[in-house]
Amino acid sequence: MTIDFKPLCYSLVKYSSTLFLYFFISIFINKTYAAEGGPCKDYGECEEFKHSLTDMPSLQSGASTFITYCYGCHSLQYSRWNRVSSDLEIPEEIFFNSLVFDPSIKPGDLMVGSMSKQDSAEWFGVAPPDLTLVTRLHGSDWVYTYLKTFYEDSSKQYGVNNLVYPGVAMPNVLAALQGNQQLVCKNVPVIASNGGEKRDDLGKTITEEKCGYLSVKEGTGTLNEQEFDKLIYDLTNFLTYVGDPDKIERERLGWYVVFFFIIFTALSSLLYREYQKDYH
Amino acid sequence: MSDNLTKVFNWINHRLPVQNTFERHLSKHPVPKKVNFWYLFGALAAVVLVIQIVSGIWLIMLYSPGEGAFASIEYMMRDVDYGWLIRYMHTTGASMFFAVVYLHMFRGLLYGSYQKPRELVWIFGCTIYLAMMAEGFLGYVLPYGQMSYWGAQVIISLFGALPYIGESLELWMRGDYYISGITINRFFALHVVALPLVLIALVFLHLVALHEVGAGNPEGIDIEAHTDEDGVPLDSVPFFPYKVLNALVGIGVFLTVFTIIMFFFPEGGGYFIEYANYEEANPLVTPDHIAPVWYYSPYYSMLRAVPDKLGGFAVMGAAVAIFFVVPWLDKSKVASIRYKGVLSKIALVLFGISFLTLGYLGTVSVTEHRKTMSIICTFIYFGYFLLMPIYTSIEKTKPVPDRL
Repeated sequence: MTIDFKPLCYSLVKYSSTLFLYFFISIFINKTYAAEGGPCKDYGECEEFKHSLTDMPSLQSGASTFITYCYGCHSLQYSRWNRVSSDLEIPEEIFFNSLVFDPSIKPGDLMVGSMSKQDSAEWFGVAPPDLTLVTRLHGSDWVYTYLKTFYEDSSKQYGVNNLVYPGVAMPNVLAALQGNQQLVCKNVPVIASNGGEKRDDLGKTITEEKCGYLSVKEGTGTLNEQEFDKLIYDLTNFLTYVGDPDKIERERLGWYVVFFFIIFTALSSLLYREYQKDYH
Repeated sequence: MSDNLTKVFNWINHRLPVQNTFERHLSKHPVPKKVNFWYLFGALAAVVLVIQIVSGIWLIMLYSPGEGAFASIEYMMRDVDYGWLIRYMHTTGASMFFAVVYLHMFRGLLYGSYQKPRELVWIFGCTIYLAMMAEGFLGYVLPYGQMSYWGAQVIISLFGALPYIGESLELWMRGDYYISGITINRFFALHVVALPLVLIALVFLHLVALHEVGAGNPEGIDIEAHTDEDGVPLDSVPFFPYKVLNALVGIGVFLTVFTIIMFFFPEGGGYFIEYANYEEANPLVTPDHIAPVWYYSPYYSMLRAVPDKLGGFAVMGAAVAIFFVVPWLDKSKVASIRYKGVLSKIALVLFGISFLTLGYLGTVSVTEHRKTMSIICTFIYFGYFLLMPIYTSIEKTKPVPDRL
């Protein structure tokens, strides 16, 4: 008696390849669910930030905000004062007289911060991190969203918490400008499975209460929403510059180099074709 | 004047085989006249090796090993004119080195470049790959960022999993009870002196062995079988200018890609320079997710697929070691995939898919699905090699033509 192995082999191949395909596809589908929350944690996806490193007024205003509000605790220890002033086209005299103030600081000094790491570690529980590379570590989107998502939380040491960085050990330094931001609940339309708003028999939109929305108490801040967003934009723009101060120069130079190699490739390919005729 | 020059040249030539060597290995060296783009990656690897050595020499001038390593990198990136260029050249070069070497190795599997009489060429090549992996790992630790630190922690602790000698070996490698400036200093010495010497010696042997047996071709035809009266293969052309010009086009395309990455996307989306490495090493804080750079990620997936640390290490080691015996696993009568049977083709495609999938899985965090998938892919990876003696001997091959 002979056993026909063919159908068995076929089904084996069929099932194993289906299984393989299933797992193969599932590793990519799982991507969004596998991560621990979104990239901006409780906020989900970060807000998109588009830098503009040639916009000097924006960078200058960002530098001013940084030195006024952040530099008290955070250093930019790999960056130098005079590099910032020359890159941002701020005359050195104005820069040092109206932003830096401290006469003991020399133009070529590194921006090492004004608070000792030891003291700050004692006061805040953790030393405020150096921010030179913060936009390269977390991305500018993250920094931009983080700075906008502080909210009141009385259970925390400084009375505030952050959606992007839950449990952060930093007080909301910009609260006086932004105002008191709180997490509120709102009535939002229920979305039906077809993607549209769900309506009742009378055609009225069905709503449900959802929480976790950020809202600023009116009249508590000195800036309105647009002004505050612009302030944060400029600040993030400045930090993006500090993270990669040669980006503009690098990309300017890059065009020439890439163009050179394209021409080089074209010429060598013409030469190669000419020589190839010898043996074809 | 030219007479005098000739005299000087002759004087040297009688004492050192300059002309002979030059003609034998460069100007007159016969190469197959018909090859495809897969045969360019060897030359490209040589180009990247030079880029790495030259940019590396400049980096040594600016870098200081030890606890201050991270700050010295930022110093060269900001305060040194074009320091960023040198550094990005080296980081881009590292990724490109592995990219071209992986393609070069795949070419070997595709066209049976390891088959008789090229076994030694293949083995020297595998040894170069092994040395490169060590070189790349050591280099990655040098910037002393978070991922450098924790990557090194993972790799060194693998040696700690070895029975009996593990713990003392770990201590001996680090030179300290934890990874510190002392570790960085010794890794620096190995990265800039020891391994480059080994690599250059191996590349030399790889080329000498290659020139002894001659380059292969995508048809898997032995071009030495038909020669003219001078013993030059009929289907060959001299290395200069034909092969040089051919390579030049490839080098042009390659350097275009290289410079686009270097000037516009030096971080390669976090794959060439991991974002977590923009934070200085901190022994007290473990990153959420430790992932190696992309070129090690297939092996890292295998390591994670095995629950036991020592077992994982063994699988990882075996995955690299198995390349060495490929010349004896392939029992096929033909070299090129063009004339091999359908089983070899399926096996190679599956191997390619599993390698890429393992590579992807090594860069993301583990879930149950992903773990199952990496186990499946690890089996396929090893299956490709271990079943090779079977499928290459039972399949039907096509007849190989006589001439190129």
